[in-house]
Amino acid sequence: MKLILSTGNIIGSKPSIARRPLIEKSNTELTTSLRAHFASCQSLAATHSASQSSTAPTNSPSSSSPSQPPSYEAWTQPLPPSSSSNENTQKTLLIPSPKLAPPTPLAEDRAAYDITIKLFYLPSVRVEKRAAQTREALRTVCAALGVSSVDLCIVSFPGVAFDAEDEDSVPPSPSSDPTQNQNSDPTDDPTTDGDAEEGETDTPDESLESMIATWHTLETLYSTGAIRKLGVAEFNTSLLSRFLAATAVGPAVDQINVRDCCVVPKPLILFAKEKGVELLTHNDCTDILPRGTVRELLGAAGVLVRDGDKGKGLRGEVEPQWVVKYTAVVKDRGVVESKGYFAVAELEEEG
Amino acid sequence: MGLLALGTPLDWSEAKKAAPQVREWGIEQLLATWRRARGKERDALLWGDEIEYLVVCYDDAARKVKLSLRQADILAALAGDEKLLREGGGVEDVHRGPIQEGDTAPVFHPEFGRFMLEATPGKPWGIGFKDLLDVEPNMKRRRIIAKEHMARTEYPITLTTFPRLGRNDCTTPSYPVSGEKLRSQFLPDEIANPHIRFPTLAANIRARRGRKVEINVPVFRDENTTWPFKDPTVNYNLHKWPEDDDVRNGAAKNNHIYMDAMAFGMGSCCLQITFQAKNIEEGRKMYDQLSPLGPILLALTAATPIYKGFLADTDVRWNQISRAVDDRTAEELGEKPLKNDRWRIPKSRYASNSTYISNDQNLRREYMDPSLVVDEKLKQRLLDGGMDELLATHFAHLFIRDPIVVFAEDLKVLDLDKVDHFENLQSTNWQHMRFKPPPPGIDIGWRVEFRPMEIQITDFENAAFSIFIVLITRAILSFDLNFYIPIVRVSENMETAHVRDAVNTQKFYFRKNPFSSRSGTTSAEGHSGTSTPAADSRPASPLGAVEDEYDLMTVDEIINGQQSGSDGFPGLIPLVENYLNSMNVDVETRCGLAIYLDLIRRRANGSLWTAAKWIRHFVSSHPDYKKDSAVSDEIQYDLVKAAEEVTRHEGRNGLASEMLGKRS
Repeated sequence: MKLILSTGNIIGSKPSIARRPLIEKSNTELTTSLRAHFASCQSLAATHSASQSSTAPTNSPSSSSPSQPPSYEAWTQPLPPSSSSNENTQKTLLIPSPKLAPPTPLAEDRAAYDITIKLFYLPSVRVEKRAAQTREALRTVCAALGVSSVDLCIVSFPGVAFDAEDEDSVPPSPSSDPTQNQNSDPTDDPTTDGDAEEGETDTPDESLESMIATWHTLETLYSTGAIRKLGVAEFNTSLLSRFLAATAVGPAVDQINVRDCCVVPKPLILFAKEKGVELLTHNDCTDILPRGTVRELLGAAGVLVRDGDKGKGLRGEVEPQWVVKYTAVVKDRGVVESKGYFAVAELEEEG
Repeated sequence: MGLLALGTPLDWSEAKKAAPQVREWGIEQLLATWRRARGKERDALLWGDEIEYLVVCYDDAARKVKLSLRQADILAALAGDEKLLREGGGVEDVHRGPIQEGDTAPVFHPEFGRFMLEATPGKPWGIGFKDLLDVEPNMKRRRIIAKEHMARTEYPITLTTFPRLGRNDCTTPSYPVSGEKLRSQFLPDEIANPHIRFPTLAANIRARRGRKVEINVPVFRDENTTWPFKDPTVNYNLHKWPEDDDVRNGAAKNNHIYMDAMAFGMGSCCLQITFQAKNIEEGRKMYDQLSPLGPILLALTAATPIYKGFLADTDVRWNQISRAVDDRTAEELGEKPLKNDRWRIPKSRYASNSTYISNDQNLRREYMDPSLVVDEKLKQRLLDGGMDELLATHFAHLFIRDPIVVFAEDLKVLDLDKVDHFENLQSTNWQHMRFKPPPPGIDIGWRVEFRPMEIQITDFENAAFSIFIVLITRAILSFDLNFYIPIVRVSENMETAHVRDAVNTQKFYFRKNPFSSRSGTTSAEGHSGTSTPAADSRPASPLGAVEDEYDLMTVDEIINGQQSGSDGFPGLIPLVENYLNSMNVDVETRCGLAIYLDLIRRRANGSLWTAAKWIRHFVSSHPDYKKDSAVSDEIQYDLVKAAEEVTRHEGRNGLASEMLGKRS
């Protein structure tokens, strides 16, 4: 079963801002806002059923024990297997149900906005799945915002992390053969902090080839106008130059962690300027959604129950698939109107 | 301060008779504006900053510095500069070039003080983040252009006040004091811009008040300060004008520095920022939300520790300006029973604002000033004209004042295509926020002006504070932040901001939770317009006591966040950082903004000094300082020279690094 987790529009929501540490990493923003959104929808569902139960007092489990969270079925929504997709015949569960948290389409004309999405491909997901994931992520965000295209789509490959220290010692070598240089750069190695004990390090290193294979889907979406600008994250000079050499539609943006914004090495700045690649800042975590986090989140929300636990809920192994973050900014006023995340996980159901 | 039309100004006795007519016509012009512009929508964020300079003139041989009164000559030189005009710059209302497609040269403006100059960007800024990094170079360019049109011995300095303004021989050229308009025993009439509006403003404020304005600043008591301190510069034996009796009637208070003219206040330099809102509602929201930040930014920009050659016991200019234009009569002040006047008025025309005006659901009735004075008749007229209660109350409150400068020619016909009568009252209500309706005949939207900040010595700092305020407004609008506290607490905070070193020693009332209740959870609630049954059945969350919503906080806590507890105030800078994290900002810009935010962060946590602290330190460590609170000519010369050096080097040569940090 496919689980689609959503945060709703988190702009202005308290937990995402007030948490410590104040310079917040994206993964805490993602998890706290998912948690908050789940809780809020559960309470909406509880209120809803309580108000219904006042007319039908025989069926009022939630009002008699208010501390008990409502059954997951009360605040999530199953979708039947999609008939249009011949490959994917699995069931889907929307968490929470859009009936409780209807999407808020943008208030003004599409042209007033700058819409950016950042798609996080996750480790331990087969590269071949990314084409479909990319399309699905774009479709999901566009549906939520009520638009047909985004202005910028940045993709984040697992394990690619910029390191300002390394950079100075690696001069750009745009002339070198990209295929020979493959994996020679230490920053191509995946980060190994994450859920090491869960065996996710057995994921093969993200190779230039796999990135380029993934990129072809983005180039297609670019050519159809669904995405107006493409971007990558955490590419150093060497990787950027090899990537540019190997792609037809190169990235227009390379996103660097804000922590490094004042120490971005000169060679990268010059190279990016020369190639017309804009260096933007972000504050996202590279390991955005470890498997354990999804399990913990869904467990706490009562969607997933552990072996041996009693009670209603889904059982099985969850595997995170992809995460997309979106922001819609009113261009000429610099106001963020909408911001949120969707995260998708596969549930290998038991029995 | 733009120059309004010329004409024949009425003496106070005549102007007073015309006051009801000016007010009524002003209200009609406001209603015409309201009808015309209330539906104005989707204006971009445009904003502008104003930098005010003192023009000083050095006599290096004598080691003296004076104020130069050559404003008119300097402005004439600027207005006649062909290159400046070609690049789109010049002098407002006199001669400026056409606004350019790209870079546009700055524009200069006359100010009240004849020793002052104001400069603004040639066209407003937008919110492109790269625009933000253009602000500081533009400010520097303004100062360079200003300097190029001055004499070799002159320099445009951004101190809030001239340290020895009001002492013998503080201007060049020098003029005798005790003139007909100001009747000041310290300053000549020639201190004010000679445009007829300004001397009339000063004279009519004095006439309306029935005596000279009275500014008493507590003196800083040092080891050797004579105590009780009796201002030794006060002359009790003048008999030229009736107002010379003021000091014999106790106008000069013990332990205070006494001043008696409008120029002591209106001659101060400030840093003001104006924002264009997308529509009237957004403007009203920004007006309300920026209001509680006013006193905090006043304390944080403190730069005014000296008056008339003495160290004061306060750090900011605000109350001195307030008293310098206080036209209230003894009856209005509550010193005499009401007989001729209409009401007692708690505040000067120059004061912290007393109204909230937004239709925001977060605005609780309890936040409003229960003793607000309004002109009920004019308010009714506004309501009858279709204006809503909140906004009508705001303007009917501003319109309790009399117009000060009235031109005979303007009283003949009411022209609803103009706003001269409205602006007459609006622009002489100098509150710390100003809500500005769109002017007629030009595509400008509803605007909000943020007025409390003190000018800083360097353009680096002025850019930092300007940009900080811009980013805060974006965070307010994006996150739907709520900074409401009772408006009377904002007024109290304004007083607190005056305390010496308030930024490190005082606490301010501030709202604990800035997140709006409606955005507290999910988009479902923000969607209350649709008929989602579950959302509709949600009970409204009960509001707690207003007193529980706010607390006393240090400036550090307000700016950098409360470190203790999980539900402490997050801090204005973390909110701004969070906003920036949601935006696509390039590395160069983000790094530049980080330097500005770092300055403000460190000012707030005390690791960097305010200008007030730096100036105090400079004076107290000067060899000529005798620990008696007196700032001599010698000290003034060195201080102004040092300020100029700081302006040029911005701490990079080590001078004033306590204020600016180690800069590379």
